[in-house]
Amino acid sequence: MDAKLDLEIGLEKDEPRKAVEQFEQFALEHEVPMGLTFKFQLALDELLTNVVSYAFEEDAAAPVITLALRLTDGKLEALLEDNGRPFNPLRDAPAPDLDLSAEDRRVGGLGIHLTKAFVHGLNYERVDGWNRLYLVQPLGAHQEDQT
Amino acid sequence: MNVETSYSGSTAVAVVDGRIDSANAKDFDEELSAIIDRGVSSLVVDCGGLNYISSAGLRVLLIAIRKTNEAGGGLALCSVPDHIREVLEVSGFVRLTKVFATADEARASFSK
Repeated sequence: MDAKLDLEIGLEKDEPRKAVEQFEQFALEHEVPMGLTFKFQLALDELLTNVVSYAFEEDAAAPVITLALRLTDGKLEALLEDNGRPFNPLRDAPAPDLDLSAEDRRVGGLGIHLTKAFVHGLNYERVDGWNRLYLVQPLGAHQEDQT
Repeated sequence: MNVETSYSGSTAVAVVDGRIDSANAKDFDEELSAIIDRGVSSLVVDCGGLNYISSAGLRVLLIAIRKTNEAGGGLALCSVPDHIREVLEVSGFVRLTKVFATADEARASFSK
């Protein structure tokens, strides 16, 4: 079973939600397991929110953010691309210290932490002025009877 | 997202439903801040109807935990769906706040 969904994401604050809700619908239609859909959706939300919030200067000339989702046998893949400032969330985002008390905890950093915990494979590269973040999630045994 | 709150002295139970993400975390923050500003030091957040929370929502919870701790009370969660509980575990929030099965148990934990 192959399916794809390509989205362009704007810079408004509610754009990440719109995009991940479209992903959720796509995943539902193609019978992706719900637990996996939730985790992947959360990861996409965190990554898109970072890009929408921080990747571009206010006067950026032609900001572009795209999300390409692919469902092929056995795996769900996403490619998130933007032409904003270079940022590798896998390396540049500080890891939160989960042992600190509420008073000492920093409020940031959790989004990437959740993303790393919830997505099986993540890869970042900077190519010709574009940030390219690739996500892959095996669908597990659930998908076998549909191939 | 919708928040419905019942008050009992300095304790309140806020029943939250729907979705909390970067698009509405500010609204969630305003809701919880308004509750605490009414003199509530012990706040139970009932997550029974909550189906989604991202780090933007966790940030709001962290701020409310700090404020209620400062006020001499605290924040407790109850009725947390499994997938939300996993978010709380992975983000270390189960170490910052207690999670109870029901609102009654959560409320009772404050009167001890």
